[in-house]
Amino acid sequence: MTNLPAVVIDNGTGYTKMGYAGNNDPQFIIPTTIATRETPSGNLAAKRGIEDLDYYIGDEAILNSKTYGINYPIRHGQVENWDLMEKFHQASIFQYLRCEPEDHYFLLTEPPLNPPENREYTAEIFFESFGAKGIYIAVQAVLALAASWTSGKADQTLTGTVIDSGDGVTHVIPVAEGYVIGSSIKHIPIAGRDITQFVQQLLRERENSIPPEDSLEVAKRIKEMYSYVCPDIVKEFKKYDSEPDKCFKKHEFLHSVTKKPYNVDVGFERFLGPEIFFNPEIASPDFLTPLPEVVDTTIQSCPIDTRRGLYKNIVLSGGSTMFKDFGRRLQRDITRIVDNRLKHYEVLSQANINKDQQIQPKMIDVNVVSHKRQRYAVWFGGSLLADTAEFYSYCHSKAQYDEYGPSIARFNRVFASIM
Amino acid sequence: MPAYHSSFNDGGFRAIGNMALLPIKTKIRGPAPPAADPQQDDIIDEAIALFRANCFFRNFEIKGTADRVLIYLLLFIQESLGKLSKNPSQLEGQRTLQTHALQNFAIPGEAGFPLNAMYEKPANRNDADTLRQYLSQLRQECATRLVVKVYDGDRPSKWWMCFSKRKFMGLPNVGTAA
Repeated sequence: MTNLPAVVIDNGTGYTKMGYAGNNDPQFIIPTTIATRETPSGNLAAKRGIEDLDYYIGDEAILNSKTYGINYPIRHGQVENWDLMEKFHQASIFQYLRCEPEDHYFLLTEPPLNPPENREYTAEIFFESFGAKGIYIAVQAVLALAASWTSGKADQTLTGTVIDSGDGVTHVIPVAEGYVIGSSIKHIPIAGRDITQFVQQLLRERENSIPPEDSLEVAKRIKEMYSYVCPDIVKEFKKYDSEPDKCFKKHEFLHSVTKKPYNVDVGFERFLGPEIFFNPEIASPDFLTPLPEVVDTTIQSCPIDTRRGLYKNIVLSGGSTMFKDFGRRLQRDITRIVDNRLKHYEVLSQANINKDQQIQPKMIDVNVVSHKRQRYAVWFGGSLLADTAEFYSYCHSKAQYDEYGPSIARFNRVFASIM
Repeated sequence: MPAYHSSFNDGGFRAIGNMALLPIKTKIRGPAPPAADPQQDDIIDEAIALFRANCFFRNFEIKGTADRVLIYLLLFIQESLGKLSKNPSQLEGQRTLQTHALQNFAIPGEAGFPLNAMYEKPANRNDADTLRQYLSQLRQECATRLVVKVYDGDRPSKWWMCFSKRKFMGLPNVGTAA
Protein backbone atom coordinates (compact mmCIF):
# COMPACT_ATOMS: atom_id res chain seq x y z
CA MET A 1 0.00 0.00 0.00
CA THR A 2 1.35 3.41 -0.85
CA ASN A 3 1.32 5.91 1.91
CA LEU A 4 -0.12 9.34 1.64
CA PRO A 5 2.64 11.96 1.97
CA ALA A 6 3.87 12.53 5.49
CA VAL A 7 3.01 15.79 7.21
CA VAL A 8 5.93 17.96 8.29
CA ILE A 9 5.30 20.44 11.09
CA ASP A 10 8.04 22.69 12.46
CA ASN A 11 6.83 24.60 15.50
CA GLY A 12 9.13 27.54 16.15
CA THR A 13 8.88 30.23 18.80
CA GLY A 14 7.76 32.81 16.30
CA TYR A 15 6.31 30.91 13.38
CA THR A 16 4.97 27.46 12.67
CA LYS A 17 5.89 26.03 9.30
CA MET A 18 3.78 23.14 8.05
CA GLY A 19 3.13 21.25 4.87
CA TYR A 20 3.43 17.91 3.14
CA ALA A 21 6.70 16.06 2.63
CA GLY A 22 8.26 16.25 -0.79
CA ASN A 23 7.39 19.90 -1.31
CA ASN A 24 10.03 22.59 -1.51
CA ASP A 25 8.28 25.14 0.65
CA PRO A 26 5.92 24.88 3.58
CA GLN A 27 2.25 25.32 2.64
CA PHE A 28 1.48 27.35 5.75
CA ILE A 29 3.64 29.72 7.68
CA ILE A 30 1.62 31.09 10.56
CA PRO A 31 2.57 32.76 13.82
CA THR A 32 2.69 30.29 16.70
CA THR A 33 -0.09 32.05 18.55
CA ILE A 34 -3.44 30.95 19.85
CA ALA A 35 -6.34 33.14 20.87
CA THR A 36 -8.74 31.79 23.48
CA ARG A 37 -11.64 33.19 25.46
CA GLU A 38 -10.37 33.96 28.91
CA THR A 39 -13.74 33.93 30.61
CA PRO A 40 -16.47 31.76 29.11
CA SER A 41 -19.32 34.22 28.80
CA GLY A 42 -22.83 33.69 27.59
CA ASN A 43 -21.88 33.68 23.94
CA LEU A 44 -23.11 31.46 21.18
CA ALA A 45 -20.42 28.82 21.56
CA ALA A 46 -21.16 28.38 25.25
CA LYS A 47 -24.86 27.91 24.57
CA ARG A 48 -24.15 25.10 22.14
CA GLY A 49 -21.64 23.47 24.45
CA ILE A 50 -18.72 23.82 22.07
CA GLU A 51 -16.67 26.38 23.98
CA ASP A 52 -13.53 24.27 23.59
CA LEU A 53 -13.70 24.88 19.84
CA ASP A 54 -13.97 28.61 20.36
CA TYR A 55 -10.42 29.65 19.57
CA TYR A 56 -8.21 30.84 16.71
CA ILE A 57 -4.62 30.19 15.75
CA GLY A 58 -2.03 31.99 13.65
CA ASP A 59 -2.91 35.20 11.85
CA GLU A 60 -6.56 34.83 12.78
CA ALA A 61 -5.56 34.79 16.43
CA ILE A 62 -3.85 38.13 16.01
CA LEU A 63 -6.85 39.56 14.17
CA ASN A 64 -9.11 38.52 17.06
CA SER A 65 -6.81 39.77 19.78
CA LYS A 66 -9.36 42.43 20.79
CA THR A 67 -11.98 39.97 22.00
CA TYR A 68 -9.78 36.98 22.78
CA GLY A 69 -6.71 36.52 24.94
CA ILE A 70 -3.50 35.88 22.96
CA ASN A 71 -1.18 33.10 24.07
CA TYR A 72 2.19 31.93 22.83
CA PRO A 73 2.36 28.20 23.62
CA ILE A 74 6.06 27.99 22.68
CA ARG A 75 8.71 30.03 24.43
CA HIS A 76 12.44 29.85 23.71
CA GLY A 77 11.79 26.97 21.35
CA GLN A 78 10.14 24.77 23.98
CA VAL A 79 6.47 24.06 24.53
CA GLU A 80 5.25 25.74 27.70
CA ASN A 81 1.54 25.08 27.62
CA TRP A 82 0.54 21.63 26.45
CA ASP A 83 -3.22 22.19 26.54
CA LEU A 84 -2.91 25.10 24.18
CA MET A 85 -0.37 23.25 22.08
CA GLU A 86 -2.84 20.41 21.61
CA LYS A 87 -5.48 22.86 20.47
CA PHE A 88 -2.96 24.48 18.20
CA HIS A 89 -2.09 21.15 16.61
CA GLN A 90 -5.75 20.31 16.25
CA ALA A 91 -6.48 23.49 14.35
CA SER A 92 -3.38 23.19 12.21
CA ILE A 93 -4.28 19.64 11.18
CA PHE A 94 -8.00 20.02 10.60
CA GLN A 95 -8.34 23.66 9.69
CA TYR A 96 -5.13 24.36 7.80
CA LEU A 97 -3.70 21.13 6.42
CA ARG A 98 -7.17 19.54 6.25
CA CYS A 99 -6.04 15.95 6.54
CA GLU A 100 -7.13 12.84 8.40
CA PRO A 101 -4.38 12.19 10.94
CA GLU A 102 -5.24 8.47 10.87
CA ASP A 103 -3.96 8.29 7.30
CA HIS A 104 -0.70 10.19 7.65
CA TYR A 105 2.70 9.91 9.21
CA PHE A 106 3.91 13.03 10.99
CA LEU A 107 7.35 14.52 11.24
CA LEU A 108 7.66 16.96 14.12
CA THR A 109 10.67 18.95 15.25
CA GLU A 110 12.19 19.66 18.62
CA PRO A 111 14.88 22.08 19.74
CA PRO A 112 18.23 20.71 20.87
CA LEU A 113 18.26 19.79 24.58
CA ASN A 114 14.52 19.15 24.59
CA PRO A 115 13.71 17.01 27.64
CA PRO A 116 12.46 13.49 26.79
CA GLU A 117 9.26 14.16 28.73
CA ASN A 118 8.29 16.72 26.14
CA ARG A 119 8.73 14.11 23.45
CA GLU A 120 6.40 11.83 25.40
CA TYR A 121 3.75 14.53 25.68
CA THR A 122 3.94 15.09 21.95
CA ALA A 123 3.53 11.37 21.32
CA GLU A 124 0.54 11.32 23.65
CA ILE A 125 -1.15 14.15 21.80
CA PHE A 126 -0.57 12.70 18.38
CA PHE A 127 -1.45 9.09 19.16
CA GLU A 128 -4.23 9.49 21.68
CA SER A 129 -5.97 12.68 20.61
CA PHE A 130 -5.44 12.40 16.88
CA GLY A 131 -4.74 8.70 16.36
CA ALA A 132 -1.89 9.42 13.97
CA LYS A 133 -0.50 6.52 11.95
CA GLY A 134 3.03 7.23 13.09
CA ILE A 135 5.26 10.06 14.23
CA TYR A 136 8.92 10.91 14.09
CA ILE A 137 10.47 13.68 16.18
CA ALA A 138 13.61 15.16 14.67
CA VAL A 139 16.10 17.64 16.08
CA GLN A 140 15.90 20.97 14.26
CA ALA A 141 19.66 21.43 13.88
CA VAL A 142 20.04 18.02 12.24
CA LEU A 143 17.30 18.84 9.74
CA ALA A 144 19.04 22.12 8.95
CA LEU A 145 22.19 20.15 8.18
CA ALA A 146 20.26 17.83 5.92
CA ALA A 147 18.74 20.81 4.11
CA SER A 148 22.23 22.10 3.25
CA TRP A 149 22.90 19.00 1.15
CA THR A 150 20.94 20.67 -1.64
CA SER A 151 23.58 23.39 -1.96
CA GLY A 152 25.81 20.91 -3.79
CA LYS A 153 28.82 22.46 -2.10
CA ALA A 154 28.90 20.29 1.00
CA ASP A 155 29.17 16.52 1.08
CA GLN A 156 26.29 14.69 2.64
CA THR A 157 27.42 14.41 6.23
CA LEU A 158 25.58 14.90 9.47
CA THR A 159 28.61 16.62 11.00
CA GLY A 160 28.63 20.38 11.06
CA THR A 161 27.94 23.56 12.97
CA VAL A 162 24.46 24.98 12.54
CA ILE A 163 23.93 28.71 12.95
CA ASP A 164 20.24 29.19 13.39
CA SER A 165 19.09 32.79 13.58
CA GLY A 166 15.45 33.64 13.68
CA ASP A 167 13.66 36.62 15.15
CA GLY A 168 14.37 36.22 18.84
CA VAL A 169 17.69 34.53 19.42
CA THR A 170 20.60 33.01 17.52
CA HIS A 171 21.90 29.53 18.31
CA VAL A 172 25.21 27.98 17.42
CA ILE A 173 24.77 24.22 17.52
CA PRO A 174 27.56 21.72 16.82
CA VAL A 175 26.38 18.37 15.48
CA ALA A 176 28.68 15.35 15.12
CA GLU A 177 27.43 12.34 13.16
CA GLY A 178 23.85 13.38 13.76
CA TYR A 179 24.35 13.83 17.50
CA VAL A 180 24.02 17.28 18.97
CA ILE A 181 26.93 18.13 21.24
CA GLY A 182 24.70 19.58 23.92
CA SER A 183 27.38 20.86 26.26
CA SER A 184 28.83 23.15 23.59
CA ILE A 185 25.68 24.86 22.33
CA LYS A 186 25.85 28.63 22.57
CA HIS A 187 23.16 31.26 22.33
CA ILE A 188 23.53 34.88 21.29
CA PRO A 189 20.91 37.44 22.26
CA ILE A 190 21.16 39.10 18.83
CA ALA A 191 18.74 38.21 16.06
CA GLY A 192 16.28 39.66 13.57
CA ARG A 193 14.35 41.73 16.07
CA ASP A 194 17.49 43.49 17.30
CA ILE A 195 18.47 44.39 13.75
CA THR A 196 15.00 45.83 13.18
CA GLN A 197 15.25 47.87 16.36
CA PHE A 198 18.69 49.18 15.43
CA VAL A 199 17.50 50.15 11.95
CA GLN A 200 14.50 51.84 13.54
CA GLN A 201 16.78 53.82 15.84
CA LEU A 202 18.99 54.94 12.95
CA LEU A 203 15.95 55.99 10.96
CA ARG A 204 14.54 57.90 13.89
CA GLU A 205 17.77 59.89 14.20
CA ARG A 206 17.61 60.96 10.58
CA GLU A 207 14.25 60.70 8.86
CA ASN A 208 11.41 62.88 10.07
CA SER A 209 8.93 61.83 7.41
CA ILE A 210 8.09 58.49 9.07
CA PRO A 211 4.95 58.55 11.21
CA PRO A 212 5.77 57.07 14.61
CA GLU A 213 3.02 54.45 14.44
CA ASP A 214 4.53 53.03 11.24
CA SER A 215 8.15 53.24 12.27
CA LEU A 216 8.58 49.59 13.25
CA GLU A 217 6.95 48.35 10.07
CA VAL A 218 9.09 50.67 7.93
CA ALA A 219 12.27 49.52 9.69
CA LYS A 220 11.29 45.90 9.10
CA ARG A 221 10.64 46.45 5.42
CA ILE A 222 13.89 48.32 4.93
CA LYS A 223 15.78 45.58 6.74
CA GLU A 224 14.23 42.89 4.59
CA MET A 225 14.54 44.69 1.27
CA TYR A 226 17.81 46.61 1.35
CA SER A 227 20.18 45.17 3.92
CA TYR A 228 23.45 43.46 3.12
CA VAL A 229 26.72 42.63 4.86
CA CYS A 230 29.76 44.73 3.95
CA PRO A 231 33.40 43.73 4.29
CA ASP A 232 34.46 46.85 6.22
CA ILE A 233 32.35 49.72 7.54
CA VAL A 234 34.83 52.55 7.03
CA LYS A 235 35.37 51.54 3.40
CA GLU A 236 31.62 51.26 2.98
CA PHE A 237 31.10 54.82 4.30
CA LYS A 238 33.68 56.03 1.76
CA LYS A 239 31.88 54.17 -1.00
CA TYR A 240 28.64 55.93 -0.06
CA ASP A 241 30.47 59.26 -0.27
CA SER A 242 31.92 58.58 -3.69
CA GLU A 243 28.94 56.86 -5.32
CA PRO A 244 25.85 58.31 -3.65
CA ASP A 245 23.52 57.57 -6.58
CA LYS A 246 24.26 53.87 -6.45
CA CYS A 247 24.13 53.43 -2.69
CA PHE A 248 21.39 55.65 -1.31
CA LYS A 249 17.90 54.40 -2.07
CA LYS A 250 14.45 55.89 -1.83
CA HIS A 251 11.41 53.93 -0.90
CA GLU A 252 7.79 55.00 -0.97
CA PHE A 253 5.61 53.80 1.87
CA LEU A 254 1.88 54.17 2.44
CA HIS A 255 0.66 55.52 5.73
CA SER A 256 -1.19 52.71 7.48
CA VAL A 257 -4.18 54.84 8.46
CA THR A 258 -4.49 57.74 6.05
CA LYS A 259 -3.10 55.81 3.05
CA LYS A 260 -1.06 58.83 2.06
CA PRO A 261 2.27 58.02 0.43
CA TYR A 262 5.54 59.27 1.91
CA ASN A 263 9.18 58.85 0.93
CA VAL A 264 11.93 57.44 3.08
CA ASP A 265 15.62 57.70 2.19
CA VAL A 266 17.55 54.53 2.83
CA GLY A 267 21.23 54.92 3.60
CA PHE A 268 23.82 53.59 5.99
CA GLU A 269 21.37 51.32 7.82
CA ARG A 270 21.62 49.04 4.80
CA PHE A 271 24.95 47.72 6.00
CA LEU A 272 24.92 48.87 9.63
CA GLY A 273 21.92 46.69 10.50
CA PRO A 274 23.43 43.27 9.80
CA GLU A 275 26.76 44.58 11.09
CA ILE A 276 25.55 44.04 14.66
CA PHE A 277 26.23 40.33 14.24
CA PHE A 278 29.88 41.14 13.64
CA ASN A 279 30.16 44.19 15.92
CA PRO A 280 27.46 43.82 18.56
CA GLU A 281 28.96 46.75 20.43
CA ILE A 282 27.45 49.28 18.04
CA ALA A 283 23.90 48.42 19.09
CA SER A 284 23.89 46.80 22.51
CA PRO A 285 25.74 47.85 25.62
CA ASP A 286 25.79 44.45 27.31
CA PHE A 287 26.65 41.85 24.70
CA LEU A 288 29.99 42.41 23.00
CA THR A 289 31.20 39.14 21.45
CA PRO A 290 31.00 39.01 17.65
CA LEU A 291 29.32 36.01 16.03
CA PRO A 292 32.49 34.64 14.36
CA GLU A 293 34.19 34.55 17.75
CA VAL A 294 31.24 32.74 19.33
CA VAL A 295 31.30 30.15 16.54
CA ASP A 296 35.02 29.67 17.06
CA THR A 297 34.75 29.18 20.84
CA THR A 298 31.83 26.82 20.33
CA ILE A 299 33.87 24.61 18.03
CA GLN A 300 36.92 24.83 20.27
CA SER A 301 34.88 23.49 23.18
CA CYS A 302 33.86 20.38 21.22
CA PRO A 303 35.73 17.04 21.30
CA ILE A 304 39.01 17.46 19.48
CA ASP A 305 38.39 14.82 16.83
CA THR A 306 35.22 16.55 15.63
CA ARG A 307 36.61 20.05 15.24
CA ARG A 308 37.89 19.87 11.68
CA GLY A 309 34.57 18.50 10.54
CA LEU A 310 32.72 21.25 12.39
CA TYR A 311 34.83 24.01 10.81
CA LYS A 312 34.45 22.44 7.41
CA ASN A 313 30.68 22.50 7.39
CA ILE A 314 29.15 25.61 8.98
CA VAL A 315 25.53 25.69 7.90
CA LEU A 316 23.21 28.69 8.01
CA SER A 317 19.53 28.46 8.79
CA GLY A 318 16.73 30.89 9.54
CA GLY A 319 15.60 34.23 8.13
CA SER A 320 18.23 36.43 9.77
CA THR A 321 21.05 34.63 7.95
CA MET A 322 19.61 35.63 4.59
CA PHE A 323 21.51 38.92 4.22
CA LYS A 324 23.63 39.17 1.10
CA ASP A 325 27.25 38.14 1.73
CA PHE A 326 26.50 37.06 5.32
CA GLY A 327 28.14 33.69 4.71
CA ARG A 328 31.15 35.20 3.00
CA ARG A 329 31.90 37.64 5.82
CA LEU A 330 31.41 34.95 8.45
CA GLN A 331 33.79 32.63 6.61
CA ARG A 332 36.40 35.36 6.26
CA ASP A 333 36.26 36.30 9.94
CA ILE A 334 36.35 32.73 11.23
CA THR A 335 39.21 31.85 8.87
CA ARG A 336 41.11 34.83 10.18
CA ILE A 337 40.69 33.75 13.83
CA VAL A 338 41.65 30.15 13.06
CA ASP A 339 44.69 31.07 10.96
CA ASN A 340 45.97 33.45 13.61
CA ARG A 341 45.75 30.74 16.23
CA LEU A 342 47.57 28.23 14.03
CA LYS A 343 50.31 30.77 13.36
CA HIS A 344 50.61 31.39 17.06
CA TYR A 345 50.96 27.65 17.74
CA GLU A 346 53.55 27.39 15.00
CA VAL A 347 55.68 30.06 16.63
CA LEU A 348 55.29 28.47 20.06
CA SER A 349 56.24 24.99 18.94
CA GLN A 350 59.08 26.22 16.78
CA ALA A 351 60.65 27.69 19.89
CA ASN A 352 60.73 24.28 21.54
CA ILE A 353 62.58 22.37 18.84
CA ASN A 354 65.79 22.61 16.85
CA LYS A 355 66.10 25.42 14.35
CA ASP A 356 66.71 23.13 11.38
CA GLN A 357 63.42 21.31 11.90
CA GLN A 358 60.38 22.98 10.45
CA ILE A 359 56.92 22.67 11.83
CA GLN A 360 54.03 23.19 9.46
CA PRO A 361 50.56 22.78 10.93
CA LYS A 362 47.94 21.41 8.58
CA MET A 363 45.69 24.33 7.75
CA ILE A 364 42.09 24.11 8.92
CA ASP A 365 39.50 24.28 6.22
CA VAL A 366 36.72 26.71 7.16
CA ASN A 367 33.60 26.53 5.07
CA VAL A 368 30.33 28.43 5.51
CA VAL A 369 27.54 26.91 3.46
CA SER A 370 24.77 29.14 2.15
CA HIS A 371 21.97 27.69 0.11
CA LYS A 372 18.64 28.57 -1.44
CA ARG A 373 16.47 26.93 1.20
CA GLN A 374 18.06 28.73 4.13
CA ARG A 375 14.97 30.56 5.30
CA TYR A 376 12.91 27.47 6.07
CA ALA A 377 15.90 25.14 6.26
CA VAL A 378 14.53 23.11 9.16
CA TRP A 379 11.20 22.49 7.50
CA PHE A 380 12.84 21.74 4.18
CA GLY A 381 15.23 19.24 5.79
CA GLY A 382 12.20 17.58 7.34
CA SER A 383 10.45 17.49 4.00
CA LEU A 384 13.50 15.79 2.45
CA LEU A 385 13.77 13.24 5.22
CA ALA A 386 10.07 12.39 5.29
CA ASP A 387 10.09 11.85 1.54
CA THR A 388 12.56 8.95 1.69
CA ALA A 389 11.44 5.33 1.79
CA GLU A 390 13.34 4.65 5.03
CA PHE A 391 11.46 7.39 6.84
CA TYR A 392 8.52 5.12 7.58
CA SER A 393 10.79 2.57 9.21
CA TYR A 394 12.17 5.24 11.54
CA CYS A 395 8.73 6.31 12.73
CA HIS A 396 7.07 5.21 15.90
CA SER A 397 3.81 3.62 14.85
CA LYS A 398 0.42 3.64 16.48
CA ALA A 399 0.69 -0.11 17.10
CA GLN A 400 3.94 0.36 19.00
CA TYR A 401 2.43 3.14 21.04
CA ASP A 402 -0.51 0.96 22.00
CA GLU A 403 1.91 -1.81 22.94
CA TYR A 404 4.52 0.10 24.92
CA GLY A 405 3.13 3.53 25.76
CA PRO A 406 4.59 7.01 25.35
CA SER A 407 8.09 5.97 26.41
CA ILE A 408 8.79 4.86 22.84
CA ALA A 409 9.21 8.50 21.94
CA ARG A 410 12.40 8.62 23.99
CA PHE A 411 14.11 6.35 21.50
CA ASN A 412 15.35 7.32 18.07
CA ARG A 413 15.43 4.57 15.45
CA VAL A 414 17.93 6.28 13.14
CA PHE A 415 20.72 5.68 15.62
CA ALA A 416 19.53 2.23 16.71
CA SER A 417 22.55 0.44 15.31
CA ILE A 418 24.90 2.57 17.39
CA MET A 419 23.07 2.18 20.65
CA MET B 1 36.19 43.48 15.39
CA PRO B 2 36.65 46.47 17.69
CA ALA B 3 36.70 50.17 16.83
CA TYR B 4 39.14 51.50 14.25
CA HIS B 5 42.53 52.81 15.33
CA SER B 6 44.86 55.46 13.99
CA SER B 7 47.41 54.38 11.40
CA PHE B 8 49.94 56.81 12.89
CA ASN B 9 50.37 54.83 16.11
CA ASP B 10 53.72 53.35 15.22
CA GLY B 11 55.24 56.32 13.42
CA GLY B 12 57.62 57.20 16.26
CA PHE B 13 56.37 60.78 16.60
CA ARG B 14 57.37 63.10 19.44
CA ALA B 15 54.76 63.24 22.16
CA ILE B 16 53.68 65.93 24.59
CA GLY B 17 52.18 64.38 27.67
CA ASN B 18 51.17 61.24 25.89
CA MET B 19 49.58 62.76 22.81
CA ALA B 20 51.55 62.44 19.60
CA LEU B 21 52.66 65.63 17.83
CA LEU B 22 51.59 64.63 14.32
CA PRO B 23 52.29 66.45 11.07
CA ILE B 24 49.20 68.12 9.61
CA LYS B 25 48.47 69.77 6.30
CA THR B 26 47.53 73.29 7.33
CA LYS B 27 48.16 76.98 6.81
CA ILE B 28 47.35 77.72 10.44
CA ARG B 29 50.42 78.45 12.52
CA GLY B 30 51.34 76.19 15.37
CA PRO B 31 53.76 73.64 16.73
CA ALA B 32 52.69 70.76 14.46
CA PRO B 33 55.31 69.85 11.88
CA PRO B 34 54.26 70.39 8.25
CA ALA B 35 53.16 67.27 6.39
CA ALA B 36 55.80 65.75 4.14
CA ASP B 37 53.45 64.69 1.37
CA PRO B 38 50.39 66.88 0.71
CA GLN B 39 48.71 64.03 -1.19
CA GLN B 40 48.62 61.71 1.77
CA ASP B 41 45.93 61.68 4.47
CA ASP B 42 46.91 63.23 7.78
CA ILE B 43 45.36 62.62 11.19
CA ILE B 44 42.50 65.05 10.54
CA ASP B 45 41.48 63.31 7.29
CA GLU B 46 41.70 60.07 9.18
CA ALA B 47 39.49 61.32 12.01
CA ILE B 48 36.84 62.60 9.60
CA ALA B 49 36.88 59.28 7.73
CA LEU B 50 36.65 57.18 10.89
CA PHE B 51 34.13 59.34 12.72
CA ARG B 52 30.96 57.78 11.32
CA ALA B 53 32.15 54.26 12.05
CA ASN B 54 33.74 54.88 15.42
CA CYS B 55 30.96 57.01 16.92
CA PHE B 56 28.96 53.78 17.38
CA PHE B 57 31.51 52.35 19.77
CA ARG B 58 31.44 52.75 23.49
CA ASN B 59 34.77 51.12 24.18
CA PHE B 60 38.09 52.09 22.70
CA GLU B 61 41.40 50.55 23.57
CA ILE B 62 44.17 53.13 23.24
CA LYS B 63 46.99 51.49 21.31
CA GLY B 64 49.38 54.41 20.95
CA THR B 65 49.95 58.13 21.30
CA ALA B 66 48.25 58.89 17.96
CA ASP B 67 45.04 57.19 19.15
CA ARG B 68 44.73 59.90 21.80
CA VAL B 69 44.85 62.59 19.12
CA LEU B 70 42.26 60.59 17.16
CA ILE B 71 39.91 60.39 20.16
CA TYR B 72 40.29 64.13 20.73
CA LEU B 73 39.42 64.90 17.13
CA LEU B 74 36.47 62.47 17.05
CA LEU B 75 35.00 64.10 20.14
CA PHE B 76 35.62 67.53 18.65
CA ILE B 77 33.78 66.53 15.45
CA GLN B 78 30.92 65.29 17.61
CA GLU B 79 30.77 68.63 19.43
CA SER B 80 30.91 70.50 16.14
CA LEU B 81 28.02 68.56 14.62
CA GLY B 82 26.04 69.42 17.73
CA LYS B 83 26.72 73.12 17.00
CA LEU B 84 25.27 72.73 13.51
CA SER B 85 21.98 71.32 14.75
CA LYS B 86 20.18 74.62 14.06
CA ASN B 87 20.70 73.99 10.35
CA PRO B 88 22.60 77.20 9.47
CA SER B 89 23.67 78.16 5.93
CA GLN B 90 27.19 77.28 4.87
CA LEU B 91 28.57 80.74 5.63
CA GLU B 92 26.97 80.86 9.05
CA GLY B 93 28.02 77.30 9.75
CA GLN B 94 31.59 78.07 8.87
CA ARG B 95 31.55 81.03 11.24
CA THR B 96 29.93 79.01 14.03
CA LEU B 97 32.52 76.27 13.77
CA GLN B 98 35.45 78.70 13.64
CA THR B 99 34.24 80.45 16.81
CA HIS B 100 33.69 77.04 18.36
CA ALA B 101 37.25 75.99 17.49
CA LEU B 102 38.66 79.17 19.05
CA GLN B 103 36.53 78.87 22.18
CA ASN B 104 38.28 78.41 25.52
CA PHE B 105 39.01 74.72 25.93
CA ALA B 106 40.53 72.44 28.52
CA ILE B 107 43.77 70.56 27.88
CA PRO B 108 44.73 67.21 29.46
CA GLY B 109 45.37 67.64 33.16
CA GLU B 110 42.87 70.47 33.61
CA ALA B 111 39.62 70.04 35.49
CA GLY B 112 37.29 70.38 32.48
CA PHE B 113 39.00 67.71 30.40
CA PRO B 114 36.87 64.54 30.30
CA LEU B 115 39.57 61.90 29.80
CA ASN B 116 42.13 62.76 32.45
CA ALA B 117 42.43 59.12 33.48
CA MET B 118 43.87 58.22 30.11
CA TYR B 119 45.77 61.37 29.17
CA GLU B 120 48.96 62.46 30.87
CA LYS B 121 49.38 65.96 32.16
CA PRO B 122 52.09 67.86 30.23
CA ALA B 123 55.38 67.83 32.14
CA ASN B 124 55.87 71.59 32.56
CA ARG B 125 54.46 75.04 31.75
CA ASN B 126 56.28 75.12 28.47
CA ASP B 127 54.85 71.78 27.29
CA ALA B 128 51.40 72.84 28.41
CA ASP B 129 51.62 75.93 26.20
CA THR B 130 52.79 73.91 23.21
CA LEU B 131 49.99 71.39 23.76
CA ARG B 132 47.39 74.15 23.90
CA GLN B 133 48.67 75.66 20.66
CA TYR B 134 48.81 72.24 19.02
CA LEU B 135 45.23 71.39 20.00
CA SER B 136 44.04 74.80 18.88
CA GLN B 137 45.71 74.24 15.53
CA LEU B 138 44.05 70.82 15.21
CA ARG B 139 40.66 72.26 16.13
CA GLN B 140 40.78 75.09 13.61
CA GLU B 141 41.99 72.93 10.75
CA CYS B 142 39.47 70.22 11.57
CA ALA B 143 36.62 72.77 11.67
CA THR B 144 37.60 74.12 8.23
CA ARG B 145 37.70 70.68 6.64
CA LEU B 146 34.56 69.50 8.37
CA VAL B 147 32.45 72.29 6.83
CA VAL B 148 33.47 71.18 3.33
CA LYS B 149 32.55 67.59 4.12
CA VAL B 150 29.31 68.12 5.96
CA TYR B 151 27.70 70.71 3.72
CA ASP B 152 25.71 69.52 0.81
CA GLY B 153 24.64 72.65 -1.02
CA ASP B 154 23.82 75.35 1.50
CA ARG B 155 22.53 73.11 4.30
CA PRO B 156 24.29 70.48 6.42
CA SER B 157 23.72 67.06 4.87
CA LYS B 158 21.38 64.84 6.83
CA TRP B 159 23.73 61.96 6.12
CA TRP B 160 26.14 63.62 8.51
CA MET B 161 23.76 65.27 10.92
CA CYS B 162 22.21 61.90 11.81
CA PHE B 163 25.40 61.14 13.73
CA SER B 164 25.28 64.29 15.82
CA LYS B 165 23.40 62.61 18.65
CA ARG B 166 25.81 59.69 18.93
CA LYS B 167 28.20 59.71 21.85
CA PHE B 168 31.58 58.19 21.12
CA MET B 169 32.80 56.35 24.23
CA GLY B 170 29.71 57.69 25.97
CA LEU B 171 31.27 61.14 26.29
CA PRO B 172 29.33 64.34 25.61
CA ASN B 173 32.25 66.72 24.83
CA VAL B 174 35.99 67.38 24.94
CA GLY B 175 35.93 70.13 27.48
CA THR B 176 35.16 73.20 25.38
CA ALA B 177 33.82 76.01 27.55
CA ALA B 178 30.15 76.60 26.80
